[in-house]
Amino acid sequence: MPTPIKLSSRNDYESFLEKFDTFLLDCDGVLWHGNTLLPGVREVLALLRQKGKRLIFVTNNSAKSRASYSLKFKKLNIEVNENEIFCSAYIAAYYLKNILKFPKEKKIYVIGESGITEELDLEGIRSCGSSEDDDGKDFDFNDIHPDPTVGAVLCGLDTRINYKKIAKAFNYLYSNPDCLFLLTNDDSTIPYNGTLYPGTGSLVAPLIKSLNRNPDAVMGKPNKPMMDCITNEFQLDVERTCMIGDRLNTDIQFGINGKLKTLLVLTGISKEHDILIKNAPIVPDYYLPSLGDFSELCK
Amino acid sequence: MPTPIKLSSRKDYESFLEKFDTFLLDCDGVLWHGNTLLPGVREVLALLRQKGKRLIFVTNNSAKSRASYSLKFKKLNIEANENEIFGSAYITAYYLKNILKFPKEKKIYVIGESGITEELDLEGIRFCGSSEDNDGNDIDFNNIYPDPTVGAVLCGLDTRINYKKIAKAFNYLYSNPDCLFLLTNDDSTIPYNGTLYPGTGSLVAPLIKSLNRNPDAVMGKPNKPMMDCITNEFQLDVERTCMIGDRLDTDIQFGINGKLKTLLVLTGVSKEHDILIENAPIVPDYYLPSLGDLSELCK
Repeated sequence: MPTPIKLSSRNDYESFLEKFDTFLLDCDGVLWHGNTLLPGVREVLALLRQKGKRLIFVTNNSAKSRASYSLKFKKLNIEVNENEIFCSAYIAAYYLKNILKFPKEKKIYVIGESGITEELDLEGIRSCGSSEDDDGKDFDFNDIHPDPTVGAVLCGLDTRINYKKIAKAFNYLYSNPDCLFLLTNDDSTIPYNGTLYPGTGSLVAPLIKSLNRNPDAVMGKPNKPMMDCITNEFQLDVERTCMIGDRLNTDIQFGINGKLKTLLVLTGISKEHDILIKNAPIVPDYYLPSLGDFSELCK
Repeated sequence: MPTPIKLSSRKDYESFLEKFDTFLLDCDGVLWHGNTLLPGVREVLALLRQKGKRLIFVTNNSAKSRASYSLKFKKLNIEANENEIFGSAYITAYYLKNILKFPKEKKIYVIGESGITEELDLEGIRFCGSSEDNDGNDIDFNNIYPDPTVGAVLCGLDTRINYKKIAKAFNYLYSNPDCLFLLTNDDSTIPYNGTLYPGTGSLVAPLIKSLNRNPDAVMGKPNKPMMDCITNEFQLDVERTCMIGDRLDTDIQFGINGKLKTLLVLTGVSKEHDILIENAPIVPDYYLPSLGDLSELCK
C-alpha cells in the first residue's frame, strides 16, 4: 500500500485543489458534529464554489431526507442545491423505484425514521411500520402475522427501535423468502458528542442473526447503489474527482471502489494511527487533520 | 455419528425409563407451548415421580424467576419444587454471587425482564436498567454517560428492548473495558405460537457488533455455568441421567457437554430431518415425537 500523503502547507492545499474539479463530501465528522459546523468549513466550501468546483454531498445518515438536509445546510448558512445531496434514504427510494422497479401493489416495512418514509413517499412507494410501531409497550405476539403485500423490509437508523419492530420485520422475512431485505447503510457505529453509539449495521444484527440471512442489498457507502445514483445524475471524470470523508471502511472505501482519489480528514471516526500502521487495509491517497485547514487559502 | 434411536413402542418406553434415575427436562417446547401444557405431559411427569425418578427442570428462558416458574407449574397442576427449577435468571444470580463474587459496591446494568431482577434481588446484587429504561421514546444522548459503578452488563430476553437500553449498555462497556459482558443465554430464536421470534442471542447482537466484542460468559444451555449450578445442588450419576429437550444446539448439546444421555422431543424447535441428515452435527441418543408419548405406560 502506498503511504498516504499528508497535506500541511499552503502549497500542499493549492496543488491538491488544482487536481480536482469535483469533490464528493461526507457530512458527519467532516462538515459538522451534530448541528455544530466544524471550524473553517463554511469558508472552505465557499472557496471551493468560488473556484468553480462541483460539490456533491454523500451521507449514510438515513435520518433525514434530501429536503431536510437542504434545510440543515441553509440553517448553517451554507449554499447548497437539493440535487447535490445524496443521503442513504434518498438512495433507497431511488434504488427501489429505478433499479428494483418495486411493484406498486407491494409495500415496504420500514425500521427507520422520517427521512426514509419522506423519500419513499416522494417516489410513490407504499410503506408501513416506522413511527406507527414506535409504541413498544404491551407487545403481543398475537399481533404479529405474515403479510404477503410486504415485498421488502428496509432498515435504517431508528432510535425508536423496539422488540415489536424487530419481531415484525423478522416475521415478514421468515414467512416469505421472496421478501427483500434491504439496508440504508451498515455503519456499525455512529459518532455523537465525541463518542460512539450503535449504528444501523448494529441495529439490524438481530435480524441477520435470527434469520441467519444477510441483507440482499446495502444502499450507502461503500456500496454500489450510492455510486450508481450519483453517476445517474452527474457525469464524473474519475481522474479529477476526490472523495473526502472521515471513515475508512465507508467513505474512503467508497472512493476506492469508484476509482476516485480520496482524502481522509481526522475530525471523525478514523485516526492517523489507522492509516499509518503496517499493512493498514484501507489507505487514502491524502489526509489532513480537518477540512477547515484549507481555509488557510482564504487568508 | 451413531444413529439416534427412535422410541416408539411400550417396550421402548419401559426399557428407556429403566436406564435412568434422573431426568433433566427443558420446558418450552417439551412440557408446554406458552401457557398450554402439551398432551400427556401431566401424566408422564406424575409417572416419573411415582417411579422414584428425580426431576430437574432446566430452562434458558430468562423471563421468570424460580418462584414465578414454581407458580406456573402449580397453575398447570404439576408438582414441582422450587429447588428443582433452574432458569437462566437464577443461574445468572448464582454465578455472579458464587463464581464471579461480584463486588457489593458495584451494580449490574440489566437488559431484561423481572425474572432477572427478582433473582438478583434475592442474592443481594445491585442492579439498574431493566424496566426503568422501558420508555424508549425521546432518547437523549446527553443522558448517556459512563458509570464506573456499573461492573457488568447483563442481557436476557427483553420484549421492551429499545435504543436507549442498547446505547446505555454499549456506553458502559465501551467506556470501561473492565465492565463484564454477560448473557443469560444465546438462543437466536424463541418458539411461540407455532412460529419463531428473535431470542436473546439475536437481541444482544447490536452490542456484539458495535463493540466488536463477544460476551465474557453465557449462563444457559449448552454452557457450563448452568451445569455447574445444577451439580452444586445435586449429585448426578452421569451414566443414569438423561437430558430431555427440543433444541439440538442448546438442550442436546448441553447433555453431550455434561456427558449425559440425551432424548430429543419433536414438539419444539428441532425436527426429525435435523438429526437424520448425513453428517448432522448434533445428534441425540434417543428421540420421540413428544414427551406425552410416554403416557402409554400409564394405561
